[in-house]
Amino acid sequence: MKKYIGKRILTSLFTLLAILLVLFILMQLMPGSPFNDEKLNADQRAALYTKYGLDQPIVVQFFKYVGNMLKGDLGVSYNISKNTPISQLIQTRLPISIRIGGCAVGLGAVVGLVLGLIAALKHDTIWDSLATVISVIGVSVPSYVFALALSYNFGFKLGWFPMLFSQQDVLGSSVLPSISLSMFTMASIARFTRSEMLEVLGSDYMLLAESKGISGAALIFRHALRNALIPIITVLAPLIVDLMTGSLVVEKIFAIPGVGSLLVTAIQSNDYNVVISLSFIYSAMYIGIMLVVDILYGIIDPRIRLAKKGD
Amino acid sequence: MENAAAYVPVETDFKLKHNAGADLIDENYAAQSFWKDVFIRYFRKISAVIGLVLILVISVFAVIGPGMNEYTYSGQELSQKNFAPRIIALEKFGIFDGSETMRTTTGSKEINYYTEKGLTDLEYWFGSDNFGRDIWTRTWSGARVSLIIAIAAAIIDMVIGMSYGLISGYFGGRVDMIMQRILEIANGIPRLVIVTLLLLVLQPGMLTIIFALMLTEWVGMSRIARAEMLKLKEQEFVLASRTLGAGNFFIIFKEVLPNIIGPIITQVMFSIPTAIFTEAFLSFVGLGIPVPRCSLGSLISEGFNSFTTHPYQIIPPIVVMALLMLSFNLVADGLREALDPKMKEM
Repeated sequence: MKKYIGKRILTSLFTLLAILLVLFILMQLMPGSPFNDEKLNADQRAALYTKYGLDQPIVVQFFKYVGNMLKGDLGVSYNISKNTPISQLIQTRLPISIRIGGCAVGLGAVVGLVLGLIAALKHDTIWDSLATVISVIGVSVPSYVFALALSYNFGFKLGWFPMLFSQQDVLGSSVLPSISLSMFTMASIARFTRSEMLEVLGSDYMLLAESKGISGAALIFRHALRNALIPIITVLAPLIVDLMTGSLVVEKIFAIPGVGSLLVTAIQSNDYNVVISLSFIYSAMYIGIMLVVDILYGIIDPRIRLAKKGD
Repeated sequence: MENAAAYVPVETDFKLKHNAGADLIDENYAAQSFWKDVFIRYFRKISAVIGLVLILVISVFAVIGPGMNEYTYSGQELSQKNFAPRIIALEKFGIFDGSETMRTTTGSKEINYYTEKGLTDLEYWFGSDNFGRDIWTRTWSGARVSLIIAIAAAIIDMVIGMSYGLISGYFGGRVDMIMQRILEIANGIPRLVIVTLLLLVLQPGMLTIIFALMLTEWVGMSRIARAEMLKLKEQEFVLASRTLGAGNFFIIFKEVLPNIIGPIITQVMFSIPTAIFTEAFLSFVGLGIPVPRCSLGSLISEGFNSFTTHPYQIIPPIVVMALLMLSFNLVADGLREALDPKMKEM
């Protein structure tokens, strides 16, 4: 087990380094300079380049960059808000994004589980078809379509919830973005729960449990759902990551001052450092989640570990 | 047992089942071609058929739609901007009559630009946008662009991912090790990050969008191809082929590939909606097709700016895109079940 975890951590670190390299190379290829201000003359520009270390050889720049990144120093923003450390920019925005993302995952997971359970328990009835239709729509319609529809109907026409995010009414203005972000998670979890539950319900140990006299809720929750949950953990991880990217557009629609909208602004204003840092943070989160899930999965289900060893 | 006397059945207890004709067609054991089976199973599933029909209808409109009226996708008529949808043939039913409700802080009022400006013969079927361009034409030419991008990206993905997976799985050992580590790293990078960065570096346009999508979507395909290859490469027909002197690449592409075409097609179908979504996302962020050309994504992002005042501008592209993504998913689902009915639903 230790060997497996060690190997996974090593792979993750290597991936992280590779990502840094890719990001760095891409950034070197970017058109335009962060100092596009026409008022600057050549000397001033050169001074700025020296100040930010942009005049040194690329290899030096890269290693300096990796070192700084690992220390948590993400550099400063060039354009969006001059000379503000990026870590500070992100610090205020990350909690907002994480809160809405967390709400979306929680909501999606709970509703998805319930939908999936209903579909599996009432297999081949109208409830099953209904849950399937909902989940197909949720999987295939992008989150920002939901966001627009919700904000038009419930925000604009009915006025139940604010259309735009506001710090005064955090709870109320988080409702619509959370719902629209949760649709995909909900639908995927519902589909997965349904098929896993159908398989578990048809298995021999369920028959055994039933013949021992266990019935009703205990049978479903303690025996069936627990076994069905194991594979569901694996789909949750990529879903969380999808959520991060989905949040880019949804944050723009609801004007949420989160990380996603910061990335969009940075892309549009050519702020190299912010784009690189945010991409790095997204990637690091992605790799972290994947790592945790892989290890968790290895602990829960020893067969995975053994299979990987034989690989 | 209380009543021990065994009951002896008499002839009237039995009745012949009338199934004349039923035994003539042996549905269970008759040899049928694989693709015919697939065909029958596919068309038994209603949702899959609906998906296919929707895709066909949208594709037909994407081809002929822009030519159905006199407008072009880039033709602006600034005096006729923000006209609500109007179809003269439907006017008597009270819909599509070219009027829209304007909401202001003091209340709402119904206005009709067509009658106000005396343009009684003019129609914009889906309305006109805020440069006076016809939304009908733009929606369908946008659908055309989105479809071309998505399908091209999916097909190129298929070729790259499939070859990568097949080669990695077939050779195994060290080759597989290295190729899989590369893949793990590629998979560790969030796709939208890479697509976004690439489009910042490259000049925006249809080809670069296809290129960026192509670089990111091949991972899933290569996984499937590799898994299938690992399943098949120990089988006798591969051994037979090798014994007969076939080379590695002949075995990979001529012997194994035809046997895994099913899951590959399914995967292609699943990657098309992803590509449509990614393209739309890029347009929304401002990295999409350059103006005046349009895609569904850029239409949505244009419509978004005025979607509370003129909701009709955003509805056509959003509906078309949602329907497209939905129907590609339905078709892929149907195909997966038709190709491998025993496979667990994912």
